[in-house]
Amino acid sequence: MTLRRIGLIARREARAERGQPDGLVSAITFVAVLILVESLTVGPLAAGQPAVAAALFWIAMAFAAILATSRSFERELEDDALDALLAIPGGRDAVYAGKVLALTALIALVALVGGALSLVLLSLDVALPGHLAIVSIAGVLALPPVIVLFVVLSLRLRSRGALVPILALPVLVPQLVAATNGAAAAASGDAAGALGWAGLLVAFALVYSVLGLTIVPAALE
Amino acid sequence: MNTTASLRGATVVLGDRAIIRDLDLDLGPGITVIRGPNASGKTTLLRAIAGLVPLARGERSVPVPTLFLGQRAQLLRGLSARDNLRFLAAFRGAPADRVGPALAAWGITARDATRPVETLSAGQRRRAALARLDVERCDLVLLDEPFGELDDEASTALARRIRGLAGERRTIVVATHGHPELDPSANRVVRLA
Repeated sequence: MTLRRIGLIARREARAERGQPDGLVSAITFVAVLILVESLTVGPLAAGQPAVAAALFWIAMAFAAILATSRSFERELEDDALDALLAIPGGRDAVYAGKVLALTALIALVALVGGALSLVLLSLDVALPGHLAIVSIAGVLALPPVIVLFVVLSLRLRSRGALVPILALPVLVPQLVAATNGAAAAASGDAAGALGWAGLLVAFALVYSVLGLTIVPAALE
Repeated sequence: MNTTASLRGATVVLGDRAIIRDLDLDLGPGITVIRGPNASGKTTLLRAIAGLVPLARGERSVPVPTLFLGQRAQLLRGLSARDNLRFLAAFRGAPADRVGPALAAWGITARDATRPVETLSAGQRRRAALARLDVERCDLVLLDEPFGELDDEASTALARRIRGLAGERRTIVVATHGHPELDPSANRVVRLA
């Protein structure tokens, strides 16, 4: 029953984003502009180094994920749409997982566009593209559980727009370090290193998912 | 009275202010009208019954399916009225094929039902929200200022629908500071200070 409801919330989110794609569009635009500006700022030589390119990409992804997640919940608050879900038994339990699922798909799309842009704009050579894909998937999985958790915790706060990045980014540092090192390892041909970092990212995703599933139902009351 | 839902010694604190203090309330089939001036706690009381605000003290017992319609339409932007109601029906396990007839009964045309809700007027969004009464068919219905944004015709239809739901032995709680015509058909009028 709960799995069905999680799927329903994820589908509802995807449909709403398709009807009003401002979260996706702003996240993709933000990532594209940030990668371009960062590459110009540090110069083409430095920006083309695997570690620097990966760091620029994942920092941009973290901000884009915060942007998309915040927009998703703003839409829920605009007409008190979230209340309709929370007032139905089981709603509180399904909201977190449903949102994480939908936003993971959305962020994967942003990562696909941002990754392609990074490869083209920074003329990157990737030694192990398959491993880079695994690290990227693991990195995408690791972001939404943390960000959705902090967005929910700050839902009742007036200054949530400023608070979410301040609260979430320090917690995301280990994920960003792991994603950066994993992507750099894949780009430079270190298969074991890339898989190790990817495993750590999946572990982060699991830990924060369990934390979110435990905390969010109470936080939504 | 058969009790559908109850609050015992309920106290709700928002910020540093107790909005509701030590309230005992039993709700049974029929119409209960909650009246009171602005800021008397009508909305908070309904949200407390719906479980949308926590009780600082006391107990809440609501063992039946509950539909809470707040002052806003609770429809997600980016989706049509039809899709909003279908998702909520599926979420609750109610048949989605009730959605089309329910929207039509509340005056939402098939064309408007498929438009994104942000392109509808406030009155149309309110009507679409009220169609949930006929889709989800809950035993306990909590309506917070449900006449807001409705024209005279829709207000009359809503008052008639509220009496109809009460006739089906459902428990209807209406928080409003207008529409005194509801009072004669109400089983109980609760006045908040």
